[in-house]
Amino acid sequence: MTTVTTDTELSKRFHWISRLLEGWSIYKKSFLGKIGLTLLAVFALMALCSSIPPLIDPMYQPMAGVDPEIFTATGPSTRHWLGTDFMGRDILSQLLTGARIAFMVGVSAAFMSVFLGTTIGMIAGYTGKFMDTFLMRLADMIMVMPALLVLLMLAALFGQLSIWFIVFFIALFRWPGVSRVIRAQTLSLKHRPFIEAARVAGASNLRIIFRHIMPNVLPLSFLYMTFQVTSAIIIEAALAFLGFGDPGTVSWGMMLQWVWKTGHMFKAPYWLLPPGICISLITLSFYMLGRAMDEVLDPRLRKEVETD
Amino acid sequence: MALLVAENLSVGYQTQNGYLRAVEGVSFSLDAGKSLGFVGESGCGKTTLGMAVMRLMPSNGLIREGRILFDGEDLLKKTDEEMRQIRWQEIAMIFQAAMNALNPVHRVIDQITEAIHTHTPSHNKDEAYEQVRALFKFVGLPEDRMRDYPHQYSGGMKQRAIIAMALACKPKLIIADEPTTALDVIVQDQILEETKSLQREFGVSIIYISHDISVVADICHDIGVMYAGQLVEYGAREEVFDNPVHPYTKALLSSYPTLTGEKSKLMPIPGEAPNLINPPFGCRFSDRCTEARVSCRSNPPMWLEITPTHKVLCHQCRKHCGE
Amino acid sequence: MSRMVDPNLTPEDAALLIKEFGLDQPLWMQYLYYLKNFFTGHFGFSFHYGQPVVQIIGDRLPNTILLFTTSIILSALVGIFLGKIASWHKGEKTDTYLTLGALITHTAFLPWLALIMIWVFAYKLGWFPITGMISVEIWLDPKAGLWIKALDVLYHMTLPLTTLFLIHFGSYLLIMRSSMLDTLKEDYILTGRAKGLPEKVIRDHHAAPNAALPVVTSVGLSLAFSINGGALTETVFTWPGIGRELVFSVSHNDYPLAQASFLLIAIVVLLSNLVVDILYAYLDPRIRY
Repeated sequence: MTTVTTDTELSKRFHWISRLLEGWSIYKKSFLGKIGLTLLAVFALMALCSSIPPLIDPMYQPMAGVDPEIFTATGPSTRHWLGTDFMGRDILSQLLTGARIAFMVGVSAAFMSVFLGTTIGMIAGYTGKFMDTFLMRLADMIMVMPALLVLLMLAALFGQLSIWFIVFFIALFRWPGVSRVIRAQTLSLKHRPFIEAARVAGASNLRIIFRHIMPNVLPLSFLYMTFQVTSAIIIEAALAFLGFGDPGTVSWGMMLQWVWKTGHMFKAPYWLLPPGICISLITLSFYMLGRAMDEVLDPRLRKEVETD
Repeated sequence: MALLVAENLSVGYQTQNGYLRAVEGVSFSLDAGKSLGFVGESGCGKTTLGMAVMRLMPSNGLIREGRILFDGEDLLKKTDEEMRQIRWQEIAMIFQAAMNALNPVHRVIDQITEAIHTHTPSHNKDEAYEQVRALFKFVGLPEDRMRDYPHQYSGGMKQRAIIAMALACKPKLIIADEPTTALDVIVQDQILEETKSLQREFGVSIIYISHDISVVADICHDIGVMYAGQLVEYGAREEVFDNPVHPYTKALLSSYPTLTGEKSKLMPIPGEAPNLINPPFGCRFSDRCTEARVSCRSNPPMWLEITPTHKVLCHQCRKHCGE
Repeated sequence: MSRMVDPNLTPEDAALLIKEFGLDQPLWMQYLYYLKNFFTGHFGFSFHYGQPVVQIIGDRLPNTILLFTTSIILSALVGIFLGKIASWHKGEKTDTYLTLGALITHTAFLPWLALIMIWVFAYKLGWFPITGMISVEIWLDPKAGLWIKALDVLYHMTLPLTTLFLIHFGSYLLIMRSSMLDTLKEDYILTGRAKGLPEKVIRDHHAAPNAALPVVTSVGLSLAFSINGGALTETVFTWPGIGRELVFSVSHNDYPLAQASFLLIAIVVLLSNLVVDILYAYLDPRIRY
């Protein structure tokens, strides 16, 4: 009995790996995909670098602390490759930390929203009737609301928002988009023979959803995750730009806020340009990633995974 | 005087896996006022043939060799602009699965008058309107539905509208590609009757493409049987239908049930059509042929004349010559 | 409910205010008052401006509508037009440039783009004003005609409009392009060719109207996103609209104003959705009949 289960487990895992490799070879052919991935690698590197302490001065903390020798905005120099901000803090280190924050916010919010959206979409699509109507009406209502502005109102109510609060609420606003697509896919899968077979074999609804529908719907979820990452990063950046971000985190949006609010936007291009370029480029690279993944996933969406 | 003559026509598509030879060495001739039917299973090249005559091949399509003479002029030598003027005015087409052949955001009448205005800009609005009204009457569509949108029509109505549109510029030749496949049998019958009366009244030549030999035999003067891109039997309706010679034609006829005559077993044709990217050198039907010999596979078959109007592409049919 | 009171008031004044607005009443009673006020248009007083909120947002609403609707209509029309052209030249240089341009402008960060626009065109080149919607001198001049005033607004509107336009037209272009490529595979396009219609007629008269429909849907779906962008643009360009008022009031803890602004924005979004739905029904005869 145990050997049989282990065998099927192994063969399933192997199946996934071979599909992954297949997908990768298709992905590699995409011009956009390659550029997107390269850019993302650069940003990932930046994020990792932000953990490395600087080697200028043991007392020197580029973020919170101030360079003991400089306390105004200065241009790029050998000491500070991108210059310093109005308080003398190193801009490059801020940029690197911003990369880390961007990934953190983007990936967490995307993951949460996709998780929520996929689950709700599958349940709505498979269960149908009242539950379906209710969930989709809810999704509609949420989709109409401008996320940024609602978050603004929340900031008004609760004062300062912490970064995880922001991430959570972004996810809360983005799941409807994912759920619609997943629901559509679930609906088309619902009447396939292998689902019928599972039902006849006595599988409970929950089991069918998570065992049979989910593997077929997961590639679509991953695709949507890339789009969710970009919107999460943008919302957080916009919020920080307006001054309602988490004051303890230095995101790119926060950097732009400082440039703007301290009146340096005309005087310090070395401060104004990098954060904006980073936000735009990371959005672009995720978009390219999504497009390339689309090419990989499209024909494969029609293939079914018949487990059990 | 022949209206349309095809000489040794070869057409194909450039695909990822190679060059697909959809039509190979097809020759036929159609007189004015007559109708010619092409029969064959899916993938035998009959649709490609129709598209090639109109020069509506997709971007990966290629007319490799041959001539298509329409009214004595080679269509393959015409420029795009000349072809554009010939289309619809001289040769019109009724497409397979015409359910989506009408643009959903324009009214039916506008789509028909558009064809009229493009080719005869001298017609003013009222004349065009009158023409459409007459056409509607002819195909049996109610006049008050002229200003409707396509989605408001039923399947049969749409088909009739398409036929009306094809007649709008009074062409000399109409190529009908499986026009009744998507319709139920009763409507199908009506359309067929109308097609026959259409030919009587307008004197238009018809090329009728179908997989249904019984339909083709009903309305066509001549029949061409196609298999795997080649014409395998060609002759007058009575000859081909009543005296089929080629094994494929015979098999085709016996796979249809008949209402009259003895009850005989339906015989499906075993096997599959050959790959047209690398077709076999010999006879393409030899794999599935009940009368095949070794020589069939190794030598390409030649045309054998059974009567002056009936010819067949087969090695084994030598015995029928002179019958 | 204590948030309804300006935290900058002295305790005595605050107590007076509380009594005046009935804030010391039980919660459910306050809610009833709130509803009554809501439906009769009493939104309270702004802490910051000291004026009735209704007056303030009434002032701001037309400005937002002007900027918002113009930018959406402009970017949709241009996006559709360019998307059509890009699809027609698929694979060629024109297509590559257009698609790349759409991609790059669409993914740019809106507030940052706004700042760059101001920096380059207003500060460095001095072609456009840096802030605001009007030049006060012109509007105070009793002799200034309507034309001059309108042109003045247009002059101030150019930069924010361009920024919003750049951000949004890209997505419409891309959608129209892929929609056209799908539409060109339809049977009725083949019919058009068989009818001997010129290519231009097929593209513009037959394919484009069908291909534009999904773009209209997309405009409706992305309205929330557009409103976000509108609020950000208004803030950076100090365009006196509701979006900016919302941001402003939140950062100044002007709760009544913030609440009213938000509600109004929500209503604007809903109404815009309705308008888009009606427009779609008008354009697609399959829905009308």
